[in-house]
Amino acid sequence: MASDATAKTIYRPDDVAGLSYAEDLNDPGAYPYTRGARAARPKLGAWIQRELSGEGAPSRTNAQFKYLIDSGANGLDVIGDTPTMACLDPDHPASAHAVGTQGVSLCSLPDYRELYADLPLDGLTISHSLPASFGIAGLYLAAKERGIAPARLRGSTIQAPFYCEDCGYSIHMPFDLRVRLAADSIEFAAREMPKFHAFIEDTYYISEGGLDPVEEMALGFVEIRYIVRELLRRGLAIDSFAPRIAILVNCRMDFFTEIAKIRATRRLFARMLREEFGATDPRSLAVNIASHTSGLSLTAQQPVNNIVRGTVQALALALSGVQAIEVSGFDEAFRTPSPEAHLVGLRTQQVIQLEADVTKVMDPLGGSYYVEALTNEMEQRILALVERIEAMGDASGLCDNGWFRGLFQDAMERYAREIRDGERAQVGANIHRVPDDEDTLLREVAERKIEPCRERIDAIRAFKRARPAGDVAAALREVHRVARGADNLMAPIIAAMMAGATMGEITGVMRTAYGRVYDPFGMTACPI
Amino acid sequence: MPDLKPIRVLISMLGLDQHEVGAITAARLLRDAGMEVIYLGRFNLPAAIVKAAADEDVDVIGLSCHSWEYMHYLGELFELLRARGLTIPVVVGGSVITREDEGRLRAQGVAAVFGPAVPAEDIPEAIRRVVRGPQPAV
Repeated sequence: MASDATAKTIYRPDDVAGLSYAEDLNDPGAYPYTRGARAARPKLGAWIQRELSGEGAPSRTNAQFKYLIDSGANGLDVIGDTPTMACLDPDHPASAHAVGTQGVSLCSLPDYRELYADLPLDGLTISHSLPASFGIAGLYLAAKERGIAPARLRGSTIQAPFYCEDCGYSIHMPFDLRVRLAADSIEFAAREMPKFHAFIEDTYYISEGGLDPVEEMALGFVEIRYIVRELLRRGLAIDSFAPRIAILVNCRMDFFTEIAKIRATRRLFARMLREEFGATDPRSLAVNIASHTSGLSLTAQQPVNNIVRGTVQALALALSGVQAIEVSGFDEAFRTPSPEAHLVGLRTQQVIQLEADVTKVMDPLGGSYYVEALTNEMEQRILALVERIEAMGDASGLCDNGWFRGLFQDAMERYAREIRDGERAQVGANIHRVPDDEDTLLREVAERKIEPCRERIDAIRAFKRARPAGDVAAALREVHRVARGADNLMAPIIAAMMAGATMGEITGVMRTAYGRVYDPFGMTACPI
Repeated sequence: MPDLKPIRVLISMLGLDQHEVGAITAARLLRDAGMEVIYLGRFNLPAAIVKAAADEDVDVIGLSCHSWEYMHYLGELFELLRARGLTIPVVVGGSVITREDEGRLRAQGVAAVFGPAVPAEDIPEAIRRVVRGPQPAV
């Protein structure tokens, strides 16, 4: 990255001459939280260790969850398949060949019951990479049905209203509806599920297109600031929802840059929330940071090298004092993680925690001339880019006129060119290659494919036929009515799921309330 | 006499695959190599791809694949091309394409396959060969 080009080979006290321990660093758990969000390590002894999971029908993912918990995971992260992420039901014609192959297929309330069956929902944290309103509604309902108070639920969900259409989570909704659903679900969870982080700013997927760490965090802060202002505009007090904001960051191979990025992000967030938004609750200022190691940095060539990359990145994250880590599967270039990759990811974290013993001291790199200088530099550059973007005008305009999309496209092209030209080394891919026919280690595991879960398509068709059609139609009409007004959409969404409506149907009627077509593919008819 | 008309190439993704990095990079690479790129982007089913290929009178269809949907959609795509009497060659690229897939894809009629081991700089030349046949050495 650019800062490396200007980096010196040695850093000295004068590189951090203006640094004040009390104002710029302070102890972990104290403002401005540069050195860590918490004063003490969690009781678990380390961070939340989890691995991205989801494939096939909800029952198959439930079995995957149990395997991970038995293997030592102390958190879960569920990801939907591509139809689910696009808010399409499995019986939509465009879903046919993608059901359950790159995540779990979820569209109805019974799916969530099955997904969470037997799990101690009030005793573990579940992170959701799902369309947020539906993930929250599904967890809320599944817990209530089992007599578990939603107020006891822990975990999180990503909110991606700004960049989802451009960066891989397209749901074919207008900007205003995307922002409203994010704000509605955050507002709902702040009231009903106060321990649940309903607002994860996901800078990971933004960064995976090839944006550099400064751009990653700047775009993340632009979105956070917009949503915070929207919630304040609704009359919410900043300290009523700010403690539930968290950030999910990427960690690529630029070891010290990534560590500095995370430390700078904590400081920037704390200063922003206190000085600009007037938060006073310490929990509003100390932002939780979750993290994934970078899928983009992994290669299809010599997949075993990806285990080494995951280790280096996870070590950087452990040294940064993040709250949760996921190690991307060594088979990431080919698929969502295989059971083998899941286990390697968990074991990587366990070895770092239990054998390398790097968490005995908090923020062990604090005070390093280099790390502190780099942290200062990252903070300044991120803030400068946030200010530059906000000076360009309203973010909805930047979304709608394709300014962000242009930024992503340039970044993708830039990253690919750096790899192609060898400017960014990738061992096994653009340097130290081996002939393709000798590249066999772990290839068989990585290249194994999952067949689409076609039984799901039949099962959802049968489910839809068996529903009380009148109830479903009435519930969908109510979603449509509320969507045309200004009330919170979570109540009618939850009621519609209870009546048997599916995510595809609920999403479709919300689209029509905003003047869009029910089905962006033009292949299914609106049921009301 | 060499054909000086630029090659027209349609770049598309299939089904619900949202991983667009490869498609965008390929589009820019081919444009930089002097080709005319019609970029169809994400969320296209075979019927839409074939219609666009016919409407735009392209010389070649390039599919960027980062989900496994190509395993299931290519048969339909070739049927639709045949039904319209089109003989436009189809090339497929993406990191998820394995060596075994490559054989299967070629048997189905795919003219060139760019798996993860293929250097990006080889792609424009391979597409030229697919469209114009082997060029005599100068």
